[in-house]
Amino acid sequence: MDYLIEQALNGFSIGAQYSLLALGLAIVFSVMGLVNFAHGEFIGVAGYAMFAMAAMGMTDPLLLVVFAMATVTLVALVLERIAFRPVRNAPSTTGLLTAFGVGIILQNLFLLMVSPRPKAVPELSALNQTVDVWGHNFTILQFLEVGVTTVAIAGLVWFLKGTRIGLAMRAAALDFTTVRLMGMRANRVIATAFAISGLLASIAAIFFIARRGAIDPFMGLLPVLKAFVACVLGGFGSLPGAVVGGLLLGFVEVMLIVLLPDKLAGLRDASVFLIVGAILVFRPQGILGRRVELGDKTA
Amino acid sequence: MNTIAFAERTRGGRPFLDARLAGNLRGALWLALIAAAIGLFVMAFGSPFIVRLTATAFINLIAVVGLQIFMGNSNVVNIGHAGFMALGAYFTAIFATPVMIKATMIPNAPFGLAGVEVGALYAFLISVGLTSLIGLLSGLVLVRLAGIAATILTISILVIVQGVLVTWTDLFRGAQAFFGIPKVVGLGLIVAAAAAVLVVARLFKGSRAGVQLRASATDPLAAEAMGVDVKRLRLVAWVLGSAVVGCAGALYALYAGTINARAFYFHTAFLTLAMSIVGGMRSVTGAMVGVALLTVLLELIRIVEGGITVFGIAFPEMLGLSGLMLGVIIVGVMCFRSDGFMGGHEIEEVVTALRRRLVARKREA
Amino acid sequence: MLEIDGVSINYGPVSAVRDVSLKVEQGEIVALLGPNGAGKTSLLSAAMGLRPLAAGSIRFKGEDMRRLDTESRVRRGLTLTPEGRKVFANLTVLENLDLGAATRARGADFHADIEMCFELFPILAERRHQTGGSLSGGEQQMLAIARSLMSRPSLLMLDEPSLGLAPRIVGQIFRLIRDLRQRDLTILLVEQNAHEVLRFADRAYVLSTGECRYSGPAARLQEAGALMQAYIGELVA
Repeated sequence: MDYLIEQALNGFSIGAQYSLLALGLAIVFSVMGLVNFAHGEFIGVAGYAMFAMAAMGMTDPLLLVVFAMATVTLVALVLERIAFRPVRNAPSTTGLLTAFGVGIILQNLFLLMVSPRPKAVPELSALNQTVDVWGHNFTILQFLEVGVTTVAIAGLVWFLKGTRIGLAMRAAALDFTTVRLMGMRANRVIATAFAISGLLASIAAIFFIARRGAIDPFMGLLPVLKAFVACVLGGFGSLPGAVVGGLLLGFVEVMLIVLLPDKLAGLRDASVFLIVGAILVFRPQGILGRRVELGDKTA
Repeated sequence: MNTIAFAERTRGGRPFLDARLAGNLRGALWLALIAAAIGLFVMAFGSPFIVRLTATAFINLIAVVGLQIFMGNSNVVNIGHAGFMALGAYFTAIFATPVMIKATMIPNAPFGLAGVEVGALYAFLISVGLTSLIGLLSGLVLVRLAGIAATILTISILVIVQGVLVTWTDLFRGAQAFFGIPKVVGLGLIVAAAAAVLVVARLFKGSRAGVQLRASATDPLAAEAMGVDVKRLRLVAWVLGSAVVGCAGALYALYAGTINARAFYFHTAFLTLAMSIVGGMRSVTGAMVGVALLTVLLELIRIVEGGITVFGIAFPEMLGLSGLMLGVIIVGVMCFRSDGFMGGHEIEEVVTALRRRLVARKREA
Repeated sequence: MLEIDGVSINYGPVSAVRDVSLKVEQGEIVALLGPNGAGKTSLLSAAMGLRPLAAGSIRFKGEDMRRLDTESRVRRGLTLTPEGRKVFANLTVLENLDLGAATRARGADFHADIEMCFELFPILAERRHQTGGSLSGGEQQMLAIARSLMSRPSLLMLDEPSLGLAPRIVGQIFRLIRDLRQRDLTILLVEQNAHEVLRFADRAYVLSTGECRYSGPAARLQEAGALMQAYIGELVA
């Protein structure tokens, strides 16, 4: 029973990270139809931003976190402006491949400017301390992951329902032209979507880095693939779907860690993808996705 | 819409189809001839380094053509092809490697495979067959999905294949290299295979299935309304593409003699995808142009990357420069010429257009 | 107020509108009539900056619109209620109206405007928390018009407000449009449903296959057979 509770929280906290990443992907996709393959590199940006600050002698964890979040958000805005705006009205394949190229550029910038080898970022390791709650062992990080993610999602819901630009983002998911007819600036809506997606990714990135204590140029690849999987699981473009898909993925992963013997540990990622494939066979539109008919707006 | 009308017309008229077939064959032969010419030239004059580089480039070409067969016709981005390359290479390795070597390498292989040894040609055929079979099985799932979901599934395939290769040590040796594969394939055979594959891809693209598939990619609703079975066509393209990509893997195994699972993961997937994009994934000629451009360019950058001295100034080692340039090229191509270098055109179309322009200029003069 | 002068619009190699000129004066209701595919919607899209002009100019309140993007034109007081209503189906009625006022802050007059809309269209007040997609066709059309009013336009362009609605509802919508004139609003109304519109429009233009076939008083087109003549290009104003 104890074990079950601990693993459940574990599933929640890992799932929360995927949810945050998946949400960012889903927001950008729903607003402008872009499949942002470079989304995972936001994790790298956060990591290397912290690494650079720490190397310059700034080691206060809170400051590092704030700096990383600001940097990622800024990078997201810059990427939108220089790389994604030119392909905004292009077919979705073009956008996907552009993002794919952007991802490669960022990875190799980390590699070129810092090192191909992993670097330690130990400043956040204090979060891995365990605390005892009613006889269970949890880390501070796990509570933070669940708590901060909940707050972030609540904030996002408020933003989408309460602010003009949030309304415009929701409306743009269906019909961008009419949003422009309302006098809403397309550039502002899309830039906001990118900023939010970067902000959410930076939160997830901080958790990732706190867990690993190290960064490397290609650290964003697997998380973003899983975030994609989460999106597809939930129904691509659906925001609630992204959250549900992310959580589900977290639970599946924890379950696999528990169930698969160490000898088969190499199959963990493979099994995650296999399970996803199996789900998609039965529900090609994802769990919360609506049934897409041929010719609908899809990726 | 034009493509659909085109696809519809092909149903009835036989003579029209033959004219089209002739056009495609002409284009295909052009490509095959150019490939052969490059191959022969390198074999005659190239240093061992250049020969090795060319052989790798042609293996990549086969993989990119395999990629083009599915991606170029169905417009679904595929990242799973490196997985099929791995399968082709490993199946070949398992069947072709001498029993003696396998006794030390994979003595506990299941199904008595440690005691099986067949000729390289048979191993090649068995491997392409098995890869196609796996292509068929995965394809049955894949064709149910559209757009991004299908792309995610291709990534899943890549991750799953890699996971199985690395974990199933009794059969695939896990993360360790699989060596001792008979090195029976040289540049000549690889070039011949590439030429053959170019012809196959051209004929598929021009075939009724290919035309209908391309039509369905531009307008799925209209294609469906015309009675085009999109799922079946995508399955055909997927299996054919898998077989060709498997071919690339098998040839690589028989050429290099040693293979490693890590070599068939995201890096290879991304590199070949980039080649396809840069050349233009909608045309077979584009595959060839993309491979040629990126092979030469990346090789040049690698010289700089290792640290060079220009006019007495020593530049430091710059790891990651080639990757960086690769990314810049992809983004640049997407922003300014999203259809790639060939813009979706085939070689004979370009030649015809050039000839027309020449004639027009002569007339003016 | 709006001056469209010698405008041509192309879709690739296909020409949709050729050398069309049109003028709307302050306080008028102008009808733009014509059969399907005449280029009416293209003309309105071009006026909003959603379509590039191949030739000609568009001036609004004396200002050249060609340099301005869609958003800025809305800010200048030009508004289009698009064909097919285009209500945001996933947003509530209130949220739809909110977005309609995207060009200004949510101040006191914003709330007053919402109340004004609810006064004009009482059914919307009832449905304020329902999503746009759950409304009937007529209700959606009312919402679309109300949403346009939220930007406080000086010229309202309506693209086929009667499209796909039951005759009883059409009459209601037209009555509303007529009432809008009392609110200091200038209206450019695109319709296929010509006879109804001609009863209250001041002037009319007839567009057919991309060319202007008639421009003049609306009353003239009410004469027997005149409209048909205008459609086939024999009526001279």
